Amino acid sequence: MDLVKMAKGEEELQGKWGLVIDQDLCTGCQACVTACAMENNISFVGEEDVAYGRSMHWIRIERFWEGEYPDVKATPFQPIGCQQCGHAPCEPVCPVMAAQHSESEQINLQVYNRCIGTRYCANNCPYQARVFNWRDWDRPDPLSNQLNPDVTVRRRGVMEKCTFCVQRILRVEDVAKSEGREIKDGEVVPACAQACPADAIVFGRLDDPESRVSKLTRNSRKTILLEELGTLPRVTYLKGAANHV
Amino acid sequence: MSEMTGSLAHAGEQHEDPRVEHLMLDPKPRGEMNAMVMDSMLTTSWKFWVVAAFLAVIVAVCLFGAWGYLIANGMGVAGINRPAYWGIFIVNTVFWIGISHAGTFVSALLRVFKAEFRRPFTRAAELMTTFGLVQAGLSIFFHLGRVWLAYWMFPFPNERGLWPNFHSPLEWDFLAINTYLLASTMYLFLPLIPDLAMARDRSTSWRKTLYRILALGFRGTEGEWTHLRTAMSIFAFAILPVMFSVHTIVAWDFAAATRPGWSSTIFGPYFVVGALHSGIAAVAMVLVVIRATMKNMKYFIRPEHFDALGKLMLVVSMAWAYFFFNDYIVQWYGGDKWTKILLDFHEGGPLNYVWFTMLICNLVVPWLLLWNKKIRRTPWALFIIGLLINVGMWCERFVIIPLSLTINRMPFTWRLYKPGIEVPLGIGTLAFFILLYMLASRLIPLVPVWEVQEGQLAHSLRKFGKEAVVTVSDLE
Amino acid sequence: MAEIKTLLAVFVDIDPAAHAIDKLRELGVKDEQMNVISGIPVTEAMLGRPRQWTNVPRLAMGGAVAGFLLGVFLATTPLLYPYYVGGQALVPIPPSIVVIFEMTMLGMLIATFLGVFLDSYFPSYSPKEYVPEISDGKIAVLFACPALDEKIFEDAMTALGAESVKVAEAQKL
Repeated sequence: MDLVKMAKGEEELQGKWGLVIDQDLCTGCQACVTACAMENNISFVGEEDVAYGRSMHWIRIERFWEGEYPDVKATPFQPIGCQQCGHAPCEPVCPVMAAQHSESEQINLQVYNRCIGTRYCANNCPYQARVFNWRDWDRPDPLSNQLNPDVTVRRRGVMEKCTFCVQRILRVEDVAKSEGREIKDGEVVPACAQACPADAIVFGRLDDPESRVSKLTRNSRKTILLEELGTLPRVTYLKGAANHV
Repeated sequence: MSEMTGSLAHAGEQHEDPRVEHLMLDPKPRGEMNAMVMDSMLTTSWKFWVVAAFLAVIVAVCLFGAWGYLIANGMGVAGINRPAYWGIFIVNTVFWIGISHAGTFVSALLRVFKAEFRRPFTRAAELMTTFGLVQAGLSIFFHLGRVWLAYWMFPFPNERGLWPNFHSPLEWDFLAINTYLLASTMYLFLPLIPDLAMARDRSTSWRKTLYRILALGFRGTEGEWTHLRTAMSIFAFAILPVMFSVHTIVAWDFAAATRPGWSSTIFGPYFVVGALHSGIAAVAMVLVVIRATMKNMKYFIRPEHFDALGKLMLVVSMAWAYFFFNDYIVQWYGGDKWTKILLDFHEGGPLNYVWFTMLICNLVVPWLLLWNKKIRRTPWALFIIGLLINVGMWCERFVIIPLSLTINRMPFTWRLYKPGIEVPLGIGTLAFFILLYMLASRLIPLVPVWEVQEGQLAHSLRKFGKEAVVTVSDLE
Repeated sequence: MAEIKTLLAVFVDIDPAAHAIDKLRELGVKDEQMNVISGIPVTEAMLGRPRQWTNVPRLAMGGAVAGFLLGVFLATTPLLYPYYVGGQALVPIPPSIVVIFEMTMLGMLIATFLGVFLDSYFPSYSPKEYVPEISDGKIAVLFACPALDEKIFEDAMTALGAESVKVAEAQKL
């Protein structure tokens, strides 16, 4: 029984928008984390809550090491956010349908004003990509001037997660439509890709075989996280260069 | 259920007078039993009101006060985090639903199997179901991030074309728990009607008005009895699949998820048996308290009932052990690496004392003690055993929910769970349960006298050779 | 026109009540003109009475069907407003079974409960023939007899062991 053949169609299998993260280029600088927080109006949680596992970052840099001191070897940093799964386990479990699949953009949507905060979706995400608004954190003036008007500001009690900067996708689509042209490859740049100094994050159309992203997904170093679960993520990782320190 | 007062192997022993041993062989005139039950309902000592006041304060502060604080400040005041997005609130939900299954078990399953010893305490058990489900519902509401929008789980037509998601196990929960709540309340009320009529006939002033209204004009005509008994028969059979389905659906909240340790196919029956385990133990506890504190209850609830419940507790604890071991050995033997890490965490992690408490209270305590007939028939001993079993079952749910959530496939996110406001809220639900029960014992007759009399008419002592033997006839 | 009186005879035990009912039949009272009111359910077979008809099982079946249809409706609403979640089909069978089962049981049980109310004409607070001794476990036989023969019936009932025989007054319960 081929999982691939069970997919509804080529589009679902392949997806539309995709992300490639090159772990061999990633320096772990956390610029993507910062940029994402600025772009998406993420709250400032504070040291105590973050230490207890309540950080609100939509993308996190995971770092591990192998071996015992002093022979410690750092393994590649792993930036991980929502994988925008084709068969997302978070979607069917929401009782009020706040976790939806966008048929047009082939990404996973979180509808903030529908969420009643059961947190089942977060439990069911194998990548632990979802974060929850545990409190109404302060955003004292003049910090509120920094808010992005394209993105909802979330209250306490609501789940959220990486949206592939869907506000930027929609803006570019609007502009392209009003100019009567197709979207160019590389025109949509999510905040994390924009900020990365090592150009480790690449975003684009997976259904266009000539796009930069598609070409990278055919790279020999490609790996998919937790592929055995059959979630069909739209994020591909590149890992395994021999010269990594 | 035919029961020998002493087997032929003990032919030389002195037998207890069967009238002292068996309620069903010790009939009193119905009028006298009615008076005893009414007396027990109406006689209230000042100690009762002291305890009730104390509980009311706890409910006001630890339940409603703390809940208001939780709603105003958000889930951050609870101990939940990533990755343990569900914590003691859900543990309490599953715990209270488990307690509520006891009522249906006693009332429906024992009725279907014609286990006569159930007769005096079906109502006491059914009250546990209703009040237990109230606490379960409250615990669910506590855990919602935006509880003021909880009504969105109900399918109602609206302008925006919004609808709940029936693919979600939580939505099945919503349907199943509401079905069960309605069904068990109706099942509580039906056999109560004749007793309300009796109370109506023996009351004055505001009580008479209350019972007159609630008794609906019941007299006891042939038609009324036929309709009532047909309905009770249908309910007894039909509420059993509902009972099984409710806790199975609650189990599917966990089993349908992709977490290691959670997507276990045996969770359905495992949780049902676990519910019976904690539920029957809770029934025993409640009966001990009722017998000790309410007037005349020593006539209705006798050591024979504790004996029977104790045997049930032992058998169910073995059934629980079977399902637990099924789940465990399959994960231990062929589980993937994450499941292995999870099992090691259960047994050797920082909170492993919870796992060990679960095993000791659920297995060791019943298996060592409930074999002994004398222990089973001693109310306070059964109370302690029941309490330990409930502690063990609470620990079992703690192990399954926050403890298992700590381990997932993303080690970077692993964090221990430390409870916050869940503790006072949990204490609040317990106080609320006891308070509701105490108030109900003042308002409705706790013993279904008509069923007791019905049973007493059906039982007789017959001589088999030299032995006097209890016989029961089927009055249907 | 012969005046008809309704008498209430109270018995302590089942046997005298059963004999009394036979006697009443002998004296010409038809089964429909008799009613037995008791504090515990005494089956018709014990008293030699015709079997009582009840609509509750049929109402329960009707409720089950209604609940089934509700469950099917709830499970198939995605056909009206299509939404796709988790790569599952629009109307997958396993979740549908759960929803349909629960709603069927709910329908059946609510219909059974309301069926009792409907068949027994509950709630009914109008004055009725009743004596409080009945809830103390007595069995009362309510029957209609010609007013002229009242003494005959009274004596017959008392001879068979009736605790009291009096004219049934409809009183507030």
